[in-house]
Amino acid sequence: MGLGCGWNFETHPRGKRIRKRKGRRNDEEKEEVKGKKKKKNKRKKGREKKRKGRKEKKEKKKEEKERKAMGDVSDRIGRPTDNGQVIPFDNKGQLKEAFNIRLEELQVLDIKFLYGCAKPTIVVLYQDNKDARHVKTYEVTLKDKDFVEGPWAQNNLDNGAGLLIPVPMPLGGVIIIGEETIVYCSATAFKAIPIRPSIIRAYGRVDVDGSRYLLSDNAGLLHLLVIAHERERVTGLKIEHLGETSVASTISYLDNAVVYVGSSYGDSQLIKLNLQPDAKGSYVEVLERYVNLGPIVDFCVVDLERQGQGQVVTCSGAYKDGSLRVVRNGIGINEQASVELQGIKGLWSLRSSTNDPYDTFLVVSFISETRILAMNMDDELEETEIEGFYAQAQTLFCHNAVHDQLVQVTANSVRLVSSTSRDLLDQWKAPSGFSVNVATANASQALKPDPNLLEVGLKPVRKLAESRDISSSIIILYALNTGTETSSRVLLATGGGHLVYIEIGNGKLVEAKHIQLEYEISCLDINPIGENSHYSSLAAVGMWTDISVRIFSLPSLELLTKENLGGEIIPRSVLLCTFEGVSYLLCALGDGHLFNFLLNTTFLIILLSVSNVGIVVRHSSLAIAKEGELSIGAIDDIQKLHIRTIPLGEHARRICHQEQSRTFAICSLKNCQTSTEETEMHFVRLLDDQSFEFISTYPLDTYEYGCSIISCSFSDDNNVYYCVGTAYVLPEENEPSKGRILVFLVEDGKLQLIAEKETKGAVYSLNAFNGKLLAAINQKIQLYKWMLRDDGSRELQSECGHHGHILALYVQTRGDFIIVGDLMKSISLLLYKHEEGAIEELARDYNANWMTAVEILDDDMYLGAENNFNLFTVRKNSDAATDEERGRLEVVGEYHLGEFVNRFRHGSLVMRLPDSEAGHIPTVIFGTVNGVIGIVASLPHDQYVFLEKLQSNLVKVIKGVGGLSHEQWRSFNNEKKTVDARNFLDGDLIESFLDLSRNRIDEISKAMGVPVEELCKRVEELTRLH
Amino acid sequence: MWKAVKDREAGFLLPSSFATRIRSHRVASLDLSNHKEIVSPHNGAINSLQVDLTEERYLLSGSSDGSAAVYDIQHATDYERGLIAKHKSLFVVDKQHNHGHRYAISTAVWYPVDTGLFITGSFDHYIKVWDTNTTQVVMDFKMPGKVYRTAMSSIATTHMLIAAGSTDVQVRLCDIASGAFTHTLSGHRDGVMSLEWSTSSEWILVTGGCDGAIRFWDIRRAGCFRVLDQARSQLGRRPLAESTSKKGSVTGQSSSAKSMVSQRRIPLGNETKQLRALHKSQHLPRGPVVQRLHPGLSSTHNRAVAHYGAVTGLRATGDGMYLLSSGSDSRLRLWDVDSGYNTLVNFEAMRLQPTKALQLAVTQDSSLVFVPCLSTVKAYDVQSGMTFRTFCGHYELVNCCCLSSQDQELYTGSNDRQILVWSPASPVIAEVEEGKGGWVSVADQDNWSD
Repeated sequence: MGLGCGWNFETHPRGKRIRKRKGRRNDEEKEEVKGKKKKKNKRKKGREKKRKGRKEKKEKKKEEKERKAMGDVSDRIGRPTDNGQVIPFDNKGQLKEAFNIRLEELQVLDIKFLYGCAKPTIVVLYQDNKDARHVKTYEVTLKDKDFVEGPWAQNNLDNGAGLLIPVPMPLGGVIIIGEETIVYCSATAFKAIPIRPSIIRAYGRVDVDGSRYLLSDNAGLLHLLVIAHERERVTGLKIEHLGETSVASTISYLDNAVVYVGSSYGDSQLIKLNLQPDAKGSYVEVLERYVNLGPIVDFCVVDLERQGQGQVVTCSGAYKDGSLRVVRNGIGINEQASVELQGIKGLWSLRSSTNDPYDTFLVVSFISETRILAMNMDDELEETEIEGFYAQAQTLFCHNAVHDQLVQVTANSVRLVSSTSRDLLDQWKAPSGFSVNVATANASQALKPDPNLLEVGLKPVRKLAESRDISSSIIILYALNTGTETSSRVLLATGGGHLVYIEIGNGKLVEAKHIQLEYEISCLDINPIGENSHYSSLAAVGMWTDISVRIFSLPSLELLTKENLGGEIIPRSVLLCTFEGVSYLLCALGDGHLFNFLLNTTFLIILLSVSNVGIVVRHSSLAIAKEGELSIGAIDDIQKLHIRTIPLGEHARRICHQEQSRTFAICSLKNCQTSTEETEMHFVRLLDDQSFEFISTYPLDTYEYGCSIISCSFSDDNNVYYCVGTAYVLPEENEPSKGRILVFLVEDGKLQLIAEKETKGAVYSLNAFNGKLLAAINQKIQLYKWMLRDDGSRELQSECGHHGHILALYVQTRGDFIIVGDLMKSISLLLYKHEEGAIEELARDYNANWMTAVEILDDDMYLGAENNFNLFTVRKNSDAATDEERGRLEVVGEYHLGEFVNRFRHGSLVMRLPDSEAGHIPTVIFGTVNGVIGIVASLPHDQYVFLEKLQSNLVKVIKGVGGLSHEQWRSFNNEKKTVDARNFLDGDLIESFLDLSRNRIDEISKAMGVPVEELCKRVEELTRLH
Repeated sequence: MWKAVKDREAGFLLPSSFATRIRSHRVASLDLSNHKEIVSPHNGAINSLQVDLTEERYLLSGSSDGSAAVYDIQHATDYERGLIAKHKSLFVVDKQHNHGHRYAISTAVWYPVDTGLFITGSFDHYIKVWDTNTTQVVMDFKMPGKVYRTAMSSIATTHMLIAAGSTDVQVRLCDIASGAFTHTLSGHRDGVMSLEWSTSSEWILVTGGCDGAIRFWDIRRAGCFRVLDQARSQLGRRPLAESTSKKGSVTGQSSSAKSMVSQRRIPLGNETKQLRALHKSQHLPRGPVVQRLHPGLSSTHNRAVAHYGAVTGLRATGDGMYLLSSGSDSRLRLWDVDSGYNTLVNFEAMRLQPTKALQLAVTQDSSLVFVPCLSTVKAYDVQSGMTFRTFCGHYELVNCCCLSSQDQELYTGSNDRQILVWSPASPVIAEVEEGKGGWVSVADQDNWSD
C-alpha cells in the first residue's frame, strides 16, 4: 500500500513525537508570548505626541505584587558609582532611613556583603592609584553610621580581578575572580588556582552551602568551580569546563541540574547539565531558548515580500551570538507537531459525534487515496480507518452531517457514513461519464459556535483587510465557518457544468435539484449567511471560461446574479460569510488576488496573495498542509511579532538593504581567538535578501572597522552602490585619524570595489544627499561628489564641509537640510547652499544632550534620543522675529523612554491602507540596546488632545508597581535637570485601556464624558499603528 | 572616543560611564585652543570669569578697568581666515555707562536661574545687579568696603541671596527679592576674600577670610557652625589611603595574616579613644565659657586657621564632598566637608598670588583642580595632589579660571588683559591646517609664549 513511506513520526525537527501536549506546552507558550511582547513593546508619539513604556506590563501583575516597603535612594551627594547607600531593614521588613558612608577607596570595582559575620560586613574590591587591585573588609556600625576596619584584607591581586562571590557559611569568605586566577580568600585561608585567560562576568551558585559555582566567560564557555573542603576548612579549588552557552549575564541554578542562563548578548537559555559528556565533550544540553533581540545596534525596515508591510531586520547580539533578526508583524501559528507527508491534496477534520466538543478525525486526502488520522487516548495522533469511507480515491470533500453522520465526496460518489458505527449508510453515485469536481456542504448550525472561537475568528477578520496576510486570514475564516457545524445538504458539481444539490436526511441522500451550466464549475460555497444561519438560501459558484462568480438561490438553483471578474485567472475558492452583521462574498483567484464583494454590490477590490493549500480546524488548533509537511499548531495571540533568527557567529554592526540587487550588506566583526591572543577581523558582507546567505565578502584591512553603510546612487550614474565608511583604529591612537569611504557595486552577486577615498578620521555616518554623498568624519561634515575621471573611472571628490562639532555621530538629511546629532552638543541644523556650494549652520539646540540617535520627523520637527534614556523633539523656528531665536532649535517635546535608543528609521510594521485614518500618521521605528523595538507616531493635534485626556484619566486608575508614579517615571531626566514629560504620550499605557475591567472602563468613560464605544474605537485605531 | 561610542552602542559600556569617560579624556587633552579665540575688550586685568549655569553658552568677564562683558562661547561672531572662530563680546558695560562701576570690578557672576541677570561687585563698594537684555542696573547694594567676591547658590530654590565678601570683616547677604541685606555674618577678623556656597545644601555658605580662617555658616541659624583647622586631620581616626597601602602590604607579605590584623586592631582602637580624650581635655578648661554662649556663637571665639595668611580662593567639588582652598601661604588644601578635616593631600610645589582673590575651577567628576599659579595655570589631581598639567600662555599673573563642564573648555583671565581659551585637542583641525600649508605658521604665531 505504500502507507509506511510518509509516516515517519520521528523526523520532526525537534525529534518529538506528535502529541497534543496540552498542559505543559501551553504554559510555556504563555511565557514565550510574554517575553516577546516585552520586546515588542511599542511606543508612539506625535507632532503633539504621545508615549509610554514597559512599566505597565508589570502593572498587570500588580495584584500579585504588594509593596512591603519603599524608600527613595536618589541622592545628589557623591558620585553615583563610587558611593552606595546603606539601607537598613528592621526586623519587620520595613526600610529605615538610608545613609551614606564614606569609603576611602576611590576606585571601587565590587562590593559584597559577607556571610557569617556578627556585624554586617562588606568586602570591597578596589584599585589604587597605581592600578593594583586589592580587597579589604569593613564592618558597618549602624550606630555611628560608619565603617570600622574588618577582619581581614588581601593585597596585590590579579590585575584583572573584577568579581567577588561571597561564600555562605559554613565556609564563609569570598571568591575573587580574576582574568588569570581565581582566589578563595577568608580570614583563615587563601587558595588560588590559575585559569585560562578569560573575562568572567556572571556566576551562579549551585549548592546552598556554596561549594560549587557556575561561571561563564565572555566567549560563552561555562565552567564549574568547586571549593574542596574538609571539616569546614577549604583545602583547594577546582575548575572544570562544562560546555558552551550563550554569553551569560546571569546564571541561576534552578534544580535537578537545570540552569537558566540569562544573556544580554544572545538568546537566554534553559540548559540541563548532564552527568556524561556528549560526543563533543559538552555537558550542556539546551532545553529552551528565549528570544532576545538585544542589543539592537542597527536595523533597517524593508518590504521583502513587496506587500506594503514593513519588516525590521536587526543587527542583534554580540560576540559569538551575533545574528540578524527578521521581525514581522502578523498572525502566527505555534507549531505543536508536524509530520512529513508528500502530496497532500486536502485536509478535513471530523467530529465523532455532533455533540463532541472537539474534532477527532483528521482526513488527509492524497491524489489517489484518503487516510484518516485520529487522536487516541494518549493524545497521540495515529492512523485509523472509517470503514464507510472510500479510501482508494482522492476525497474532494468531507464533513459532519446532521444525525451523527459523516459525508464523504469522491470523484464518483457521495457517501453517507454513520459517525458512531462508521458504516456506510447511503451512497449517491455520479452519473457515468461525469465525475464530481467540486463539492461543498453547508452548515446547518447544529452546535452553537463557541464564543471564544468567534472572538478568535472575528478579530483577525478585521485584520484581513489590513494585513493582506491571506494565508493566515483564511485560516481564521475557516475556523469561524467550518469549525462547529454539521451539514444537512451537499452541493456538488460534476464535469460538464452540472450542478447537483443533495439534501441529507437521516441515513438518506436525496438529489433535490440538478441543473446544467454553460461552463465548467471551478468552486462552490453554500455557507449560510444572513439571519437564518441554519439554512442557507444562497449558493456561490465560481466559473471557468467566463471567469465569473454567480449566486444561485437554494433549493431552486435559480440564478440570482452574476459578476464577471475579468482577466484570465479563474476563481479558485468562493466563500459566503458574515462579518459584523454584513454579508460578504469572498472570492480568491488562482494568482493570489482576493475579491471581496458586499452581497448585492461590489464595493471593494483588494490585491492579496495566497500561499498555503488548505486548512482544517480542531478547535483552536490548526492542521496545515504545507509543501511536503503536515503540521499542527495553535493560533497565536492575534497580533504578534514573528522573529526569525539568522545566526551569523559574528557581531553585525551595520546593515542596509538594496532593493535593486535584492541584497543586504552588513559590516561585521568576528572575534578570532588564537591560542595566545584575541584578534578582531572586520568584514563587509553581502547577503541574499531571501535566503540570508553570505554571497560575497570584502575583508577590511587590519585595524579597519566598518562604521557606516548605505545604499545610494549618484547623479549622472544609473548604478546603485553600497557605500561603506570605515575607521582605522590603531592601538596606539586614542582617536582614529584615518578612515576610508569604499564604494561597491553588486555585480553577479559579488561586491566589486569601484572607488575608495581616504578620510582624515572615522566615518561615523553616511547619507545620500542630492545625488552626492554626505559623510560625517570626526568633527566634520563633508560632502563628496561623484566625478567621472578622464579614463572613464569614477571617484569621490570632496566638495565642501562644515566644522564645529565635537563628534558628528548621527546625521540625517531631508532635501537640502542636514541635521547632526553631536556626541555631546545635541542637535544642530545645517543647510546646503547650492549656489555657494557650502554648508552653513542654521540653528542648533543649545542644551547639552549627549545624542544617541536622531531622525527628521517632518520639515520642521526633529526627533532625538539622548544618553540618559530620554527622547526629545526640537522645532525649527524659521519665522521667529530675531536672529537669535531663529538660530535656536526650540525644544517642544520631552519624554523619558527608559531605553537606550541606537537607531531611528522611518517605517511601519503594519500594512498601511491609503483610505484608513491610521494610514496618514507617520511613524518612526526605533531599536534599543535592550532589544526593544518601538514606534513613535506623530499624531494629529485633535487626536493628541483626546488621548492625552484619556492618558491622564488612565493614570488615575492604573497604579504603577509599588505605587511608583507614571508621571515621575516619564519625566525627562538628565544630569542637569528633571522636567515633566510634554507633548509625548505613552502608547502602551493608553492601549492598556482595552485590558481594563468593565467597571473601570465605565469609570473612565464617565470621567471623560465620552461613550465607551467611542473610547474603544479611538484606542483600537491607535493599536492599528503597530 | 571611537571605542567608547562603539561599546556604548552594543551595551558593553553604560551610558553614564561613557559620558564620564569622554569628559575626563577631553579634560586630559586640554590645550591652548587652535580654533577658538575670545576677543577681550578690557583694558585692565581680568578678575573674574563665569560661564552661565543654564546653557553654558555665555561667558561673563569682569575687569580691573571697571568693565564687564558677555561673550557667546557657542556661537562665533566671525571666523578668521575661515578657521579660527572669533568670539567678540556681545556687550560691554564700563565706566562710560551711566551706572557703571567707577573702580575695578572684582567679581562678576551670573544669576543662576537664567541669563536674564548678572551681578558685579567692585572696589567702588557697590554690588550691582544688571539686566542682561537691557544692560541696565536694576538694583545696587552699597557695601561697607571694597567688594572682593560675590556668590550665589546654584542649587537654591527658596532664596535669592547674593553673598558678598569685602574688606569689611562682616559677610553680607543681599536679597535680590527685597533689595535689602538680610544677613550680616560676623566672625572673621579681617576682610573676606573668598566665598562659596555649598553644592549639596542651599543653606550652607563657606567663607575664607584674610585672617586665614574658613568658616561654615548655616544661614538659617545664628553664627558660624564650623571653622576649619589646618591642624585637624583625620589621621588616627581612619587611616589615609597611603598609610593603608603600606600597612596592607605588610599584611599581604605575612602569611599568618590573622594574628597581625588582630594585633593591629587593638592599638587602633586605643588610638581613637586617646584622641577623643584629647579633644575633651582641650575643651574642658573652656567648659564654662562654652556653656554660656549660644552654640553657634561659640565658634566665634575659635581662632583656628586654615591657611597662614589670607584665604584667597575657595572651591567646593561638584559632588559636595570636598572643599578646596588656596591661601597666600602658597598652599592648596583639600578639606573633607562632612567632617571638616584637613585631608593632608600634598599638592606639589606652587607659588600663588598672595594678595588677590583667586578663582579656582574643578572638573565635574572632581578629579582635577585648576589653580592660577602666577602666570601659569596648574591642574592638580585632587586626590593625589600630583601636578597633572601646567598651562603656560599668559604673560602676566593669572587671576581666574573657569571650566565649562559642557564643552570641557577652560577659560583663563589674567593681568595681561586677555582671556585665553583652552580646549580639548582636535586632530582634524590640525590636519586641515597642514593640508593648507602656509596657515600652520600663522596659526602657531599666536601672541602667547609656549
